[in-house]
Amino acid sequence: MIGFTLKGIVRDRSRSLLPVIIVSIGAMLTVAGTGWIKGIFGDIIAMNAKYSTGHVKILTAAYAENESQAPNDLALTDISSLLSSLKKDFTGVEWVPRIHFGGLIDIPDSSGVTKYQGNVVGRGVDLFSAGSRENERMNIAPSIVEGKLPENGKEILISHDFAKRFNLKPGDKVTFFGSSMNGGMVFSELTLCGTIKFGSQILDRGGIICDVSDAQQMLDMEDASSEILGYFKDDIYSEERADSLRSTFNSVYFDPGDEFSPKMLKLSEQNDLDEYLAYADRMGTIIALIFIFTLSVVLWNTGLLGGLRRYNEYGIRLALGEEKKHIYFMMLYEALIVGIIGSVVGSAAGLSFSYWLQETGLDFGDSFGNITMMMPQVFRARVVPEMFYIGFIPGVVAMLIGTAIAGIGIFKRDTARLFTELEV
Amino acid sequence: MIAFKLAYRNLIGAGLRTWLNVTVLSFAYVVIIFHQGLIDGWHRQGLLDLKAWEVGGGHLWHPAYNRYDPITFQDSHRNIDDKLIKKFNEGQIAPVLVVQASAYPDGRLISVILKGIAPRQEIVSIPTRYLADNNAVNAVIGTRMAKLMKVKEGDNILIRWRDKNGVFDATEVHIIKIFKCDVPSVDNGQIWLSLENLQKMTGLVNEATYFILSESYNEGKTDEWKFIPPSYLTRELDEIIRSKRGGGMIMQGILLIIALLAIFDTQVLSIFRRQREIGTYIALGMTRPQVIGIFTVEGAAHSVFAALAGAVYGIPLFIYLAKYGISFGFGDMGLTLADTLYPYYSLELIFWTVLIVVLAATIVSYLPARRIAKMKPTEALKGKLQ
Amino acid sequence: MKHFLLLILLISATEVLSQDAEAILQKVDRNLSSENRIFESAMLIHGRRNDRTVTSRTYSVGNKKSFTEYLTPPREQGTKMLKLESQLWIYSPSTDRIIQISGHMLRQSVMGSDLSYVDMMDDRKLTDVYSAIYAGDEIFDDRKVHVLELTAKVTDAAYYKRKMWIDRERFVPLKEELYAKSGQLLKRTTLSEVKQIGGRWFPTKIVFKDMLKEGEGTEFRMSNIKFNQKIPDYIFSKAALKK
Repeated sequence: MIGFTLKGIVRDRSRSLLPVIIVSIGAMLTVAGTGWIKGIFGDIIAMNAKYSTGHVKILTAAYAENESQAPNDLALTDISSLLSSLKKDFTGVEWVPRIHFGGLIDIPDSSGVTKYQGNVVGRGVDLFSAGSRENERMNIAPSIVEGKLPENGKEILISHDFAKRFNLKPGDKVTFFGSSMNGGMVFSELTLCGTIKFGSQILDRGGIICDVSDAQQMLDMEDASSEILGYFKDDIYSEERADSLRSTFNSVYFDPGDEFSPKMLKLSEQNDLDEYLAYADRMGTIIALIFIFTLSVVLWNTGLLGGLRRYNEYGIRLALGEEKKHIYFMMLYEALIVGIIGSVVGSAAGLSFSYWLQETGLDFGDSFGNITMMMPQVFRARVVPEMFYIGFIPGVVAMLIGTAIAGIGIFKRDTARLFTELEV
Repeated sequence: MIAFKLAYRNLIGAGLRTWLNVTVLSFAYVVIIFHQGLIDGWHRQGLLDLKAWEVGGGHLWHPAYNRYDPITFQDSHRNIDDKLIKKFNEGQIAPVLVVQASAYPDGRLISVILKGIAPRQEIVSIPTRYLADNNAVNAVIGTRMAKLMKVKEGDNILIRWRDKNGVFDATEVHIIKIFKCDVPSVDNGQIWLSLENLQKMTGLVNEATYFILSESYNEGKTDEWKFIPPSYLTRELDEIIRSKRGGGMIMQGILLIIALLAIFDTQVLSIFRRQREIGTYIALGMTRPQVIGIFTVEGAAHSVFAALAGAVYGIPLFIYLAKYGISFGFGDMGLTLADTLYPYYSLELIFWTVLIVVLAATIVSYLPARRIAKMKPTEALKGKLQ
Repeated sequence: MKHFLLLILLISATEVLSQDAEAILQKVDRNLSSENRIFESAMLIHGRRNDRTVTSRTYSVGNKKSFTEYLTPPREQGTKMLKLESQLWIYSPSTDRIIQISGHMLRQSVMGSDLSYVDMMDDRKLTDVYSAIYAGDEIFDDRKVHVLELTAKVTDAAYYKRKMWIDRERFVPLKEELYAKSGQLLKRTTLSEVKQIGGRWFPTKIVFKDMLKEGEGTEFRMSNIKFNQKIPDYIFSKAALKK
């Protein structure tokens, strides 16, 4: 029976092609639309996660207390052993150390004596480790105006405005002067490898980015970091996962009696993000529902159209003695198959499109003409689990309902008038 | 004209399906207007907030002043001349003096910026009237700063600064009022005192770092002070808005495509079903383009009905949202962003949305109708499938 | 009449005492300042997490010029600091650079201690900066002390008021409190282990405490103090920093 119906559908293009195309397009749009909405509603969350909160963040309780002051004397220590046990105990999460610091960039004259000085805020980010996704995550490379990413030790990116103000070019040497983790004076000769636009006025006034290993060296923070951020490997924040991760971690590592023991915070606990998170979820659901409803109507039409196109065929089949009920169920059966095929094709297309949008993003940079690190002009979709079934709701259900309504007409047909209608 | 009448009658006659199509398309209208209105509302509100709390009608800065570089504060103040005093007395400008200092809440050291502002200014919304009593060192701070220092109204906080000669001075300031505002840049790291107090504390008598101008100030620049236009002070917000708009457009596009797909589909269906009718029109002497016109108008009319239907539920919804706002609970993300956003719907936005949807609906109605041109009237009259 | 006489007497008494106060201060200045000196010091800094000690050797001439070379810990070794008048330069061997410290950087703490660069820069004689008032006698740390209250007579003294507890026999301050203009106590210094060196009494241990901040303060111990040595002039040049 399935074989027979399938053959019918495949061989009769008028029965299959248009409905399958429309169901596919519909399912695809539902899936892609959902992904897109999840993506753009999530972008504030994503921004926070990328630049400040991680999906989870580990720091010392003492550091957390004064986080805005970047008190590196209270930073995490022995991070290499912490990182390796994190990697072992919590797979599926990428762990990255970061260092926040402040200091002075001193620009020498030809005799090596101070010519200019400017205050800077620095970020030590893992750029050098193989497989580190920090560059991509923080959108660093695309925001470079001149020069390139740090490739060797002691190379830094500096804010483009700062470089302009002090007439610095890639290749120039500057000295960083600041305070070590212990409060000592530290100096470091650094090479400017590029200039970057941050998109935040404070950082554009004077921001630098270097590899985290350089920051450790510069600030005498051997095997220490301000924080360790954790990112789920699929890049999607999940409250439940973060929650269980946090309680497992804190029960093992955190000691309330020791203000320097590592403590884990989840994204929603930081920057007051929990309310927004709930809101984005609600809003995403509402819009996804509108999509589904809208598409259901479209596909209903398609179902009706299919029924009407084959008015004559049903007439003949009735004339040949096929039972009305049988025809009706056959119609529904076909609609189901068409709906499933279309939904599968459409969902697959929508998912791959969304996945592509998630990984590559849609770059508005050129049309806006201003690429900065914190204000990326690349929009991304987000693939979420419900996208695997959401396309089937309009695809299959609406198709069935449409066909079911259209098919009612069959029961109204009078066998006696069939031949007049068919003009045989 | 006949096309319109026919279109109207046919659509009403089609009953449920017309209304479903219309509903779907009306979603497109409502969602597009809602989303754009939300972004416009945020932008407008953000600009209003920035204007109300920080920007006014622009600033006059001491040429050496840079708000993000505390190093510059030491050398960026000068005497307020008589002309400016007169302007201040007229309520045209509000002088602000900026000094770097340290605060010591519970023995922790926090770098802060002291800002002295004239208590009787009415240009920005910072509740400076609480600072009117110069006999006590009262201060107003924002909620973010209060959170950072862990203080509440009525608490005292020890601050230390250096006067113009570098002499250390320290005193307890009384937090008389904590204000809540959506502009982090007048809150983060700042303690607002009365101008007179801060001038006395630092010995910078009758000096200021910058002036906030009222909207009606139109003196332009002076030689001693640099005019900073409002657009310079709001550009960070402008950038965020521009990026949000881009993201929204895609979603609106997808929704519109779906709605148009519904119309397209309906058109295909009705042209298919109504061949006899088409044949009759042609037999009665209508030209094919005329018939195509009837069907195109009929399809496009969906978008007009949709606009009306959208208005029926959209307008009350929009009015409600514009009045009560939507609470996002953004928390503190360092953006100029209110907890509750009030969408703003401009006539321009509504006009363009309607125009685009009607045009798009007309095009998708026309595409299937072109088939009519290929029909043979005799066959069509019989209702034979072609 | 009797009352009037008493009043005259009282006025003249305070007159005498305030002259005494100035004299005491001069004696203190004589003890503490010298034409030049060389000494080694160990600074113990109490951090929130751990303590650390920084040692250095300092050459100074009068109060205007000083040159300090850091000896330990290894990380600071070879770092040199040159102060000439109101300017401060730091040399770092790791970068072979001379960096000028100016503006608000001067207010930062030195090596994480309770001392700022500014604290190290204020170098005038007490008698040049402050006028003193005698405020009584006390016993401090088992020593008899005069208490003096100093008020700045110049506009640019970092601390407007000071209170000093001065050993009555040796004319060495044993305790000092630094006040803001408003009267707020900012810092407290305790001086001890007073030793006789080159014919003068000198405190070799000083504990600085920033009274606004939590913490245990910074301990400063001097050793190998030599007064009035021959110090070649080139030491106080930027060229010497790089040597």
